[in-house]
Amino acid sequence: MLRKRELNFWERIYLPEIIRGVAITSRHFFVNLFFHSAHRLGLFKGKLAAVTFQYPEQTRPLASRSRTRHRLTVREEGTPRCVGCMLCETVCPAKCITIVAGEHPDPNVEKYPVRFDIDLGVCVYCGYCVEVCPEDAIRMDTEILDIAAYSRDAMKLDLHELMDPKLRKPVAECKLKFPHQCKIHGNQTRGSWKAVYGEQTCAAGSLEPQD
Amino acid sequence: MPTLTIDGKPVTVPEGTTVIQAAEKLGIFVPRYCYHPGLSVAGNCRICLVEVAKSPKLQIACNTPAAEGMVVLTRGAKVEEGRQAVLEFLLINHPLDCPVCDQSGECDLQNFYMTYGLYDPRFKEQKVKKAKAVAIGPKVMLDAERCILCSRCVRFTDEVTKTGEFGIFNRGDRSQIGLYPGKTLDNPYSGNVVDICPVGALTDRDFRFKARVWYLSTAPSVCGGCSRGCNVDLHYVLDRPHLAQGARVMRLKPRFNPDVNRWWMCDEGRYGYKFMDQKRLTRVTHRGSESTWEEALTALAGWLARAREEGRLDQVGVIPSARLTTEELFLIRKLFQEALGLKNCLLDLPPKDGTSDGFLIQADKNPNTMGAALLDLSPSPQPSPIKGEGGGAGDGLSILQKALDGQLKALWIFGHDLVGLLGEEKTAQLAKQLELLVYQGSNENPTARHAHWVLPGAVYVEKDGTFVNCQGRVQRVGKAFKPLPGARPEAEFLVELAKRLEIQVQGRTPEELFAWLAREVPAFAGLTYEKLGWQGMAVNLSSSSRKRGSPIESGMTNP
Amino acid sequence: MTGYFLIKLALASVVFFGVLNLAGLHTWVERKQSALMQDRIGANRASILGLRLFGIFHPLADAVKMFTKEDFIPAGADRFLHTLAPFVSIFFALAAFAGIPFGDRLAVGGQMIELQVAKIDVALLYIFAMLSLGIYGVILAGFASRSNYAMLGSLRACAQMLSYEIVLGVSIIGVVMVFGTLDLQEMVRAQGKYFLGVVPLWGVVLQPAAFFIFLTAALAETKRVPFDLPEGESEIVGYFVEYSGMKFGMFFMTDFIETVMVACLATTLFFGGWQVPYLRPEGFFFPWGAHLAVSQLTYVLLGVGAFMLKVIVFCWLFMTIRWTLPRFRYDQLMHLGWGILFPISLANVLVTGLVLACFGNAN
Repeated sequence: MLRKRELNFWERIYLPEIIRGVAITSRHFFVNLFFHSAHRLGLFKGKLAAVTFQYPEQTRPLASRSRTRHRLTVREEGTPRCVGCMLCETVCPAKCITIVAGEHPDPNVEKYPVRFDIDLGVCVYCGYCVEVCPEDAIRMDTEILDIAAYSRDAMKLDLHELMDPKLRKPVAECKLKFPHQCKIHGNQTRGSWKAVYGEQTCAAGSLEPQD
Repeated sequence: MPTLTIDGKPVTVPEGTTVIQAAEKLGIFVPRYCYHPGLSVAGNCRICLVEVAKSPKLQIACNTPAAEGMVVLTRGAKVEEGRQAVLEFLLINHPLDCPVCDQSGECDLQNFYMTYGLYDPRFKEQKVKKAKAVAIGPKVMLDAERCILCSRCVRFTDEVTKTGEFGIFNRGDRSQIGLYPGKTLDNPYSGNVVDICPVGALTDRDFRFKARVWYLSTAPSVCGGCSRGCNVDLHYVLDRPHLAQGARVMRLKPRFNPDVNRWWMCDEGRYGYKFMDQKRLTRVTHRGSESTWEEALTALAGWLARAREEGRLDQVGVIPSARLTTEELFLIRKLFQEALGLKNCLLDLPPKDGTSDGFLIQADKNPNTMGAALLDLSPSPQPSPIKGEGGGAGDGLSILQKALDGQLKALWIFGHDLVGLLGEEKTAQLAKQLELLVYQGSNENPTARHAHWVLPGAVYVEKDGTFVNCQGRVQRVGKAFKPLPGARPEAEFLVELAKRLEIQVQGRTPEELFAWLAREVPAFAGLTYEKLGWQGMAVNLSSSSRKRGSPIESGMTNP
Repeated sequence: MTGYFLIKLALASVVFFGVLNLAGLHTWVERKQSALMQDRIGANRASILGLRLFGIFHPLADAVKMFTKEDFIPAGADRFLHTLAPFVSIFFALAAFAGIPFGDRLAVGGQMIELQVAKIDVALLYIFAMLSLGIYGVILAGFASRSNYAMLGSLRACAQMLSYEIVLGVSIIGVVMVFGTLDLQEMVRAQGKYFLGVVPLWGVVLQPAAFFIFLTAALAETKRVPFDLPEGESEIVGYFVEYSGMKFGMFFMTDFIETVMVACLATTLFFGGWQVPYLRPEGFFFPWGAHLAVSQLTYVLLGVGAFMLKVIVFCWLFMTIRWTLPRFRYDQLMHLGWGILFPISLANVLVTGLVLACFGNAN
């Protein structure tokens, strides 16, 4: 326990201590003022006058483990690595993940997400989804921090943005080839496996549900 | 009657009982893959190993007969070590499919691995590849890699359905389950192999990728697909509307009832749940325009009150449905037949066509025909064919015929499809002829388009109640979740209607209505929801012999 | 008569705009100085046509924001008094400046113009009266808002301001006794003497204790850190919690104007006002005998410049104190006022009186 120290006479009359405090702050003031002025004149460039980062121009280096906006890792042929096991949806404490699974033509993959949404307006960035993913399909390493939008709807990411973190809203063009619920086209199903694998491969290994 | 000791507890069992059954009697669960109480014993999975005193090796509980003085240990280091070794072998060629496997979450491999697993696997060789995601029938998907060759499905098709589609082919680690050449798994009970498969080798195509099993909530219910009334568990999801296009009910699973369906149910019933979420009526409409329950209540009660004053109640026809719960049928009888004295309140429609297979499937596709019969709402056993000209027997003309002849001014239909019976033209003509045509039901059908008033009802899993099955067994259907917004249970509306017409009703909730029913109808005497439990009870047959002969016998078909 | 009126108008506008601009600039200084003291950079984004000028346009942007914001009057509030309060506050703070002399007499076209808006014989009393009236603005704000928080805040503010007003008043009695006048212009002139011909006999030399008490009490009067208990921006709900838009801005401005006022007073009373050391109307007379003649205009302008420099230094000092010291607790505040500063200031009056009685009008 920190005991309260008895103040001596000079400390008790307060005035010298005030002067001491003012001296410290003034020293910072004048030293910084000097360096700021010197920078204007092109001098002492190596010595910083402020410890802050001037954010949009200058970004703070991120820790390698810091959790930033999500992304879905992608297979070589451009389909998501995700198999739609919904473990992230299950573990998500904020319930911000929405997955609808579909049938993948390759029986060794079997399942993939037809729809994968993350509502960043709800997400708490706990990183459990990354932790729980058995396929290394979701990561939070995009280093995108400036997540802001003018509407709640614009805070919702879908497959397009998750698979290509470079995309920002509004996404105008759908570049995903595999069948998915396309937000850009009003939640219609877009894409086909033939566009991904070519006619033959698809015909040979196709196991699309026969309804 | 040998007496043996299992985990220190003595138990006496009949001759021929196996150790696993004796343990079950004590409430001790022994892990099992190949053993199923409804099938013959195969004894090939070896997970049910138990320690039997004076036996040098571990014994399988499923195929070791209980003997006098036997001392069995189902737990302990030795047993666990044995089970761990068995699991290690079973998992050698089992793929790491859990993320994509629909079984995960209710998979016995996963479950037992949690307890007995070898968490540091030693297998470093290549796994044997087998066929994956093969649709072996309209309902079932096979993944041969995941199979642990317990042979439950083989025994099911051999012993229960006797269709024999399945077999185990090849040898050694290349053994795999499969269908005999030229066969597909399309027997009417094929869905059961998914239930009995302890792993994800056989999965349900209907449920495929729809939801994860840990999302599902469970409610006990009864299948409404036919008059058998198989006991089921209703698996539903309410909080994830993005799954299965917003459907709430995900699947039905049979619930064990030794007197009705044992462990099984038919595919027709299993996959016949979709009407609960699809094409539902959710808005009260009056001649095509949207209305409210209050308006409907005022209008209908007003019409009936006027008819009562003018003495025109014999111009009112009510056709209840055998898909309604017994409580609702009873309320209809009380309200329309007794309080209002309606002569034309009978379920006199021809029965739906269907076939009975002598096992579970019944020809009568209504779950509560027996309930209606016990409540005197069914007409004579020889129903009049509607379509025939000038038909009509028994009590005279059928209600519909009377309506077509212009004898009736109002008709109240519960869920029936008149268009299917009469055709579009006649129904339209009927609607024009009548002053009042009320359709009360849960789902859209062509009749609803013609009705003057459409009252959206609840499907049976949205309301509590009972069905009486073809054996005369009263079974609770159980309310799983609330009706869809806009829809109302039929009984709720009828109680309100009775209030408006100043008719005394003894009870509002299904439970209260059932208590009233039990007081009034001798067949139900002494029954309560509490006594029924979730396995149901047979009605009092001796008191049910009514003037129209015994309806029970005609419905009885033993499996 | 017209000439006199024009001269007064010119003086008044110079002081008015000078003070308002200084107060406006204060918001910028506050941000930048605190940033420099805390190793930051401070507001620097507002720009006009890409011209940023170290963020000096931020006060302008603030003003635009304040004027365009919704002027909200809470339900149940007294609409008239609620609107009146900020005007009362800022009016009396500005009116007080009329008594401050910011330069010596200026000879223009044979006319001698006193560089003081209102030549009042009892300017000191006038200023104190104006500052006291400022309390009404605070009381009205709390009272008219019909909000318990605002009411409590205004009560705190009143108790604090009244307490420290007494200390403030007593502390300068010593100064008045020494200089023997309430006319601030005369008081400044009286500070043009030198001890041993070297040390300027400014108020601070004659009344050092009074200076420190005055400084402390004046800080408390302006309700700024470490005495910002009536309202503490983000932490303490204060008397103008129900104000928004420019009415809030006016309360904010009042604080800054009062700071400038206090700086002016401290300069005038204790640091020789417009006096430049060794400068007489005829020119510089340095202690070592050197002489530098200056014209009358230069002399007056040097005086005005000196005055402004001193005021700015005081403003800087207040700002430094504001960003250095932590806030007092309310009981500490009251104890400091009544228990420490008030007795010391009384003692100061006593000692000054004794000294004056013993040594007479030595200087």
